[in-house]
Amino acid sequence: MEGALEQYLDDTMKNPSIVGVLCTDAQGHNLGCRGSLSDEHGGVVSVLARQAASLTKDQTDSPTVCLESDCGNILVRTHGTITVAVHKMAS
Amino acid sequence: MGCCYSSESETTEQDVNERKPLIDPNQDRKPTNGMERNTDSLPSNRTDEQAQLTGILQRTALNIIDVSAVDSQGMEQHEYMDRARQYSTKLEVLSRTLSQKKPVPLPSLTSQPHQVLAADLVPFSDVQQVSKIAAYAYSAISQIKVDAKEELVVQFAIP
Repeated sequence: MEGALEQYLDDTMKNPSIVGVLCTDAQGHNLGCRGSLSDEHGGVVSVLARQAASLTKDQTDSPTVCLESDCGNILVRTHGTITVAVHKMAS
Repeated sequence: MGCCYSSESETTEQDVNERKPLIDPNQDRKPTNGMERNTDSLPSNRTDEQAQLTGILQRTALNIIDVSAVDSQGMEQHEYMDRARQYSTKLEVLSRTLSQKKPVPLPSLTSQPHQVLAADLVPFSDVQQVSKIAAYAYSAISQIKVDAKEELVVQFAIP
């Protein structure tokens, strides 16, 4: 059943500028990861997304958290019950 | 009427008042000192105040620690050295444990914050791409569900 998700994560990694991707649930449990993002980042990613969501009262507007560094940007976004983090190199 | 010391048989009221002694000789009076006269004149207020003041004085005297008056016992040299050694070992143990409890400093994200801050903003296309990825991932995960193949509750066949 998880085949669809795994396949999709592999397809996402085919993008040359993306070096890591991570999916977690609302509690930080890792659902799938590739590349530079792994299990240990699940907790932080889920909490960041949740805290950012509490900044606005609008429940439908899900914010995208961007962590910028000199080794790429990590963008975190929640959709429904899962949170996705993508580590992308600046192009 | 009459001149001084002219006696008249009947005493008038005025005379009675005039001749009444100021200090009653029949009344037994103790020799009074200044204190009694004071208490008699202002009875309740003064005694309360005095009692309160003495109470405060007593409490202060009980609580006060007069450092200058304490006679310090002289310590012998070896005792002094022993104690100094004891205290220094205790301090060493404490400083060791304390240094272990120091919190780990946060890892630094970059050594050149100016460069990162001055760099181009995250392109909106990237943000859109990530939101698309999130949507696809969500739909892929929704395929993970319970697949009921058999009945959970079965009836045992009783022959």
